[in-house]
Amino acid sequence: MDWYPLYNSLRIALFSSVIVFFAGIFSAYYVARLPRSAKGVVDVVLTLPLVLPPTVCGYFLLLAFGLNTPIGRFLDSYGFRFVMTWYGGILAASTVAFPLMYRTARGAFEAFDVTLSEAGQTLGLSNAYIFWHVRIPSCREGIVAGIVLSFARALGEYGATSMLIGYTPGRTATISTTVYQMWRTNNEREAFIWVMMNLVISMVVLLAVNLLEGRNRRRSAG
Amino acid sequence: MRRILALVLIALFACSCILAQAAVEQQSTAQKSEIVVFAAASMTETLTAIKGLYEKENPDVEVVYNFDSSGTLKTQIEQGAECDLFISAAQKQMNALADKNLIDRSTRVDLLENRTTLAVPKGNPKGIRSFDELAELLREGKVLLAIGNSDVPVGQYTQKIFAYYGIDENAIKSNLTYASNVKEVTTQVSSSSVDCGIIYATDAFSAGLEVVDTATKEMTGGRVIYPAAVLAAGRNGDRARAFLEYLKGAEARKVFESVGFAYAL
Repeated sequence: MDWYPLYNSLRIALFSSVIVFFAGIFSAYYVARLPRSAKGVVDVVLTLPLVLPPTVCGYFLLLAFGLNTPIGRFLDSYGFRFVMTWYGGILAASTVAFPLMYRTARGAFEAFDVTLSEAGQTLGLSNAYIFWHVRIPSCREGIVAGIVLSFARALGEYGATSMLIGYTPGRTATISTTVYQMWRTNNEREAFIWVMMNLVISMVVLLAVNLLEGRNRRRSAG
Repeated sequence: MRRILALVLIALFACSCILAQAAVEQQSTAQKSEIVVFAAASMTETLTAIKGLYEKENPDVEVVYNFDSSGTLKTQIEQGAECDLFISAAQKQMNALADKNLIDRSTRVDLLENRTTLAVPKGNPKGIRSFDELAELLREGKVLLAIGNSDVPVGQYTQKIFAYYGIDENAIKSNLTYASNVKEVTTQVSSSSVDCGIIYATDAFSAGLEVVDTATKEMTGGRVIYPAAVLAAGRNGDRARAFLEYLKGAEARKVFESVGFAYAL
């Protein structure tokens, strides 16, 4: 039994979650500050991967980073490529998971009581300090929920991943692409094992989200 | 506000019901003059061109295609998909359907012959010149090769080629990427995502790819033959038979031979 897909899926999801965490909260913070005209357009563009089919996202990623493109060729000259490597898996998963973190963070930031940061400013604290030590902790539950959701989405990403990195056992195979290949080659036993494993991981993730929401409700109710 | 929302939702639901009903009715009238053909992905370009020719001569008929790997199509047929004519890229899938009595054996015929080739992306970045060289590179782990998976005929022919060279597929797994049909392999080669791919001569031709070597009969364990047969449970047996006769004819032959197919008849 080859356990590589589990290891690969988890590391791709973890790296993607970290990237998406920073990209998401910074985007949410700065988009809120844009003038009204720009805000709407930028918001739509950043949310697009959420509503586009993953294959469409995969197509655009290939258009941008494929080996026949300027960016692809530039990176390849340094020996780095997104196509057919697990780094491409991180790119694909981050792209589709980003809107989840971004929207959740925006929601949390919009509910943030701005008088708290104003109070920090009157105390002479820097904006960076206020962001990391006042705003983020205050929006903690929303942000953590965003992290958990984007982790789950990154873990379950299939369409864009398959198009970008193919299926190489031991190198680019993820749980989702492995399930498809095992099913396609009538390897029912292995397909079922991976399906069950993914189910267990997803249930654990959702339980975590529920626990967090429960604690949030109890705290605000108390 | 809530009432307006409820009314809008009900209206949308009613519209979709009406549209669905209309679609179903349209389909049942269309079924009278429709032929559903399941064909190997490698026939996409040629059969699409032939559809144009055939429908011009037979305006009351519409040919509907489902192109995919023969393994996928076989599975769909076994699971009850509606199909009138099946053209496979290997005998294996047709035999499987014959064993289950799903085809009309009297109509089964070996229609086309293809060749399995080694294709490279533009510029041939790894400078591969033959299957012999590929075998060496695979053993040394220095190449990324795209192939069909074991459910795809071209993947099955690839496995025969590996066996011919005494290569253990499990040992070289990290140098392979598996695709679910021959067109996916072709696209991976075209986009330079891989160093080379094993596809049919016809796919390489249609995609404008450079072919560096062609596999012999010995390497693929026999000729690459495309059998065709009318499905026993198909609703349009007569029209399917007529279309199959057309595929055996001179006009269809010209189209097939223009991309590199040979006639096996």
